[in-house]
Amino acid sequence: MSHTAPTKIRNVVQVRNLAKAYGDNVVLRDVSLSVPEGSVTAMIGPSGAGKSTVLRCMNLLEKPDSGEIEIDGHVINARKKISPKNLAALRRSAGMVFQHFNLFPHMTVLRNISLPQERILGRSRDEANTKTMELLTRMGLGDKADHYPARCSGGQQQRIAIARALALGPRVMLFDEPTSALDPEVGVEVLEVMKELASEGMTMVVVTHEMGFAANVSNELVVMADGCIIESGDPRQIMSDPQHERTRRFLRAVLER
Amino acid sequence: MQMLQAIAVGLPLTILVTILALAIGTVLAIPLVAGLRSGNRLVWLLTRGTIDLLRGIPPVVWLFILYYGVSIGALRMSALQAAVIGLGLVAAAYLAEIFRGAIGSVHQGQWEASSALGFRTGTAWGRVIGPQAWRTAIPAYTTYGIGLLKDSSIASTIGVAEIVFMSNQYARQSGEGILVFFIAAGIYILLSMPLGMLSRHLDTKMRKAVAR
Repeated sequence: MSHTAPTKIRNVVQVRNLAKAYGDNVVLRDVSLSVPEGSVTAMIGPSGAGKSTVLRCMNLLEKPDSGEIEIDGHVINARKKISPKNLAALRRSAGMVFQHFNLFPHMTVLRNISLPQERILGRSRDEANTKTMELLTRMGLGDKADHYPARCSGGQQQRIAIARALALGPRVMLFDEPTSALDPEVGVEVLEVMKELASEGMTMVVVTHEMGFAANVSNELVVMADGCIIESGDPRQIMSDPQHERTRRFLRAVLER
Repeated sequence: MQMLQAIAVGLPLTILVTILALAIGTVLAIPLVAGLRSGNRLVWLLTRGTIDLLRGIPPVVWLFILYYGVSIGALRMSALQAAVIGLGLVAAAYLAEIFRGAIGSVHQGQWEASSALGFRTGTAWGRVIGPQAWRTAIPAYTTYGIGLLKDSSIASTIGVAEIVFMSNQYARQSGEGILVFFIAAGIYILLSMPLGMLSRHLDTKMRKAVAR
């Protein structure tokens, strides 16, 4: 018999037994993880640990060899045939922010954010533009609407990319090293926006090297190494008292820099 | 003046052959690019072979094959048809390579952003990848177009009455050899210069807009 207690928090994202290899190179082995609604999960670990791969598997930018991904009730099993409809639904539930922003360079900032709304949500151009301006104004970028991305700073571009994803009303935001391509000072602008999103209750998964963000903003810390989750739980507790030798080594290396 | 008039009679066919061959080449280049990008080994091999065959044989030989060769059989082709189809096929092979390179130059992240946003394949091509690839392809595309304008003179060898054909004819009749061909050369330059200028203008304009 299974019944759900009324207080139980829903998981927006569930990853079950994810595995992936490129030829002989195993990048993920049996990774499982749940992301409760309204929580911020930070994923840290040495490069090559598989953090980004897990994130990119969540919206099927990379196809796992086996395992299951569930976002907002849409389930995709790597071993079964993926229906385009199901894939579209899953991607619609997840907004993605990339390390290198990946804005469309041949479109103005306004078009970058409005076009997906028109195409994915079927909004009219006016509706989409209204929503876009609202988001841009919130990010303090209202005056950039008619600029091309190349004329915006890196921090501005990343905030525009966040706005583009948010405009589609995702249930979870996936961040793939959102500040790694930015100068530390500029990265702060982006982290501020992310902090604000978190405080508004957005469910977030963040692959990051920003230990400050991981410690102060995230509710759950996931430490990965060699394709496995080696430790997960309360961020402050893990950072002050890591249980795993690999975690200790990694934290020492990061904090001593 | 009479000389210029006589040569200029060939102008419409020069332009017609160029434009039609470029149009055929552009349209046929698309399935060839798809074949080159195909994951299917056999499709790739067939496409690769077709392109190499089209490029490996001189255009004038293609024209002869189409005009004299094919015309013996059931398929009768006029000189104009053979010229347009022959030059169009060769153009398809070269343009396919130009387009493939341009598509390859679009950053992988653009595909990823399109997928992550949930764009259909058609939208990703039409709105994101296509326009960026096209911008990259413009200089090479117009260069090929200008080359084709001049290569359209090959059609004179199978009797298409374009500029070179008319010049040849006039030179023989009048005995004024060299001057006739200087005038023909002048017409080609006048035709290709604005194309080059237009291409450079488009290129700088777009670069300015999206400069990284």
